[in-house]
Amino acid sequence: MPPWVKRTNFLVLTGLLVFHLLLISIQVPLGSEKKLFERGVFFVFSPLQSGVVSAVRGIRSVWTNYFDLRRVRQDNQKLKQELFFLNQEKRFLEDRLLLFRSEAEVRESLAAFRKSLITARVVGADAGSYFRSVILDKGSSDGIKLDMAVCDRFGNLVGRTIAPVSLKETMVQLITDPESSVSVISATDRIVGIVSGRQGAYCVLKYILASVGGGKEEEELITTGFDKIYPAGIRVGQILSIKPTSSVFKDIVVKPYFSFAALEVVAVLPRISGGPD
Amino acid sequence: MRETILKDILRAALATAAAFLFYSLLGGLGPSTLFVLNAFSLIVVTFSVGKEEIFGAILGTVCGLVQDSFSLGVFGIAGLTKTLLGFWTGYVSRRIDVVPFLRNFAFFLVMSSLELILWVLLNALVLGGRVDVRNGLIVFQPLVTAFLGTLILTIVRRIQARRA
Repeated sequence: MPPWVKRTNFLVLTGLLVFHLLLISIQVPLGSEKKLFERGVFFVFSPLQSGVVSAVRGIRSVWTNYFDLRRVRQDNQKLKQELFFLNQEKRFLEDRLLLFRSEAEVRESLAAFRKSLITARVVGADAGSYFRSVILDKGSSDGIKLDMAVCDRFGNLVGRTIAPVSLKETMVQLITDPESSVSVISATDRIVGIVSGRQGAYCVLKYILASVGGGKEEEELITTGFDKIYPAGIRVGQILSIKPTSSVFKDIVVKPYFSFAALEVVAVLPRISGGPD
Repeated sequence: MRETILKDILRAALATAAAFLFYSLLGGLGPSTLFVLNAFSLIVVTFSVGKEEIFGAILGTVCGLVQDSFSLGVFGIAGLTKTLLGFWTGYVSRRIDVVPFLRNFAFFLVMSSLELILWVLLNALVLGGRVDVRNGLIVFQPLVTAFLGTLILTIVRRIQARRA
């Protein structure tokens, strides 16, 4: 190989590395909005992903429908779908009842709620940072907007929709993402705090003063609605451990109810008012 | 020279499409599969063997940036590590014989392990030490990448040998 070719190779490599370092450096500190270039790549590739996943699911469903127990499977799917809606409704009803609404109001809200509920499938996950985000197969054309709460098939909180939202795909920030924040209240002792992700499948309950009493292991946490993103009354998880620390706040680990491995179908909740006014 | 560059660009585009297809398939099978297999790394390492290191670097850049765009992590980290992965793979594979199965496996294992280490270090540096290694499950990623990459190349080589 001539020496100039070798030099060109290293020059191109250096150029590429400098390009990446610049890309990384302009994003620090974190938490800024997604860059136009990043959005562009997402918008170009997201329809492809949707198509591939649909094709795979189509082939898989043809195979299973014809060679498996067809009727049993259909019944099972119908029941699962019914269960899915019932779970969502149950959570919603509990929430409304907590707010002491009249029966007529509850019925009216329930009808509106069921109509506006968007079901979506998880078609992709974050290949780099696990437990931070997933991709749904529904987008702005299906009525999905930014900051809509997302629940699993049992009505447990999964996360919220974030940018980018393309026509047919949406990114969801999971509650296990360290950058996420959910306002919660404990079911029995009524301690209010913020649930954020930490590395891995668990979350932490932040800003609970060490001097504050109450809060015990296995206590359930539900959303308060104070953050104006997540409607009140959605089940988030349960307290796994409470450890004393040298700081002013307690170290509380929370186990979210949703299972990352079992995330397949989710419900995107309409933006409704909730929480104690 | 010009023809070679054009061919390389076309190859890189096809390989990126293959990586994305594979990533989508894995996502469709279940999010947990992504813990042990990074489709983009697999394609970069497999397609860069025996090619010009520049081809590997460009392929790594494109694949890495596509992975980054579907991630909430810092945009560019996977791009940087995969650029180096493609470059190293092309550079080394043209200087040593990596055709035998075991040697190929060991070579891929070393390359993908180096990429993973670099990715973890960069993430730790940028995110301030918060790197999710999935309770150690992530260490299987280079192993799976090396095994599948070697398997794909062995099959391709056998098909080519039969045709010849």
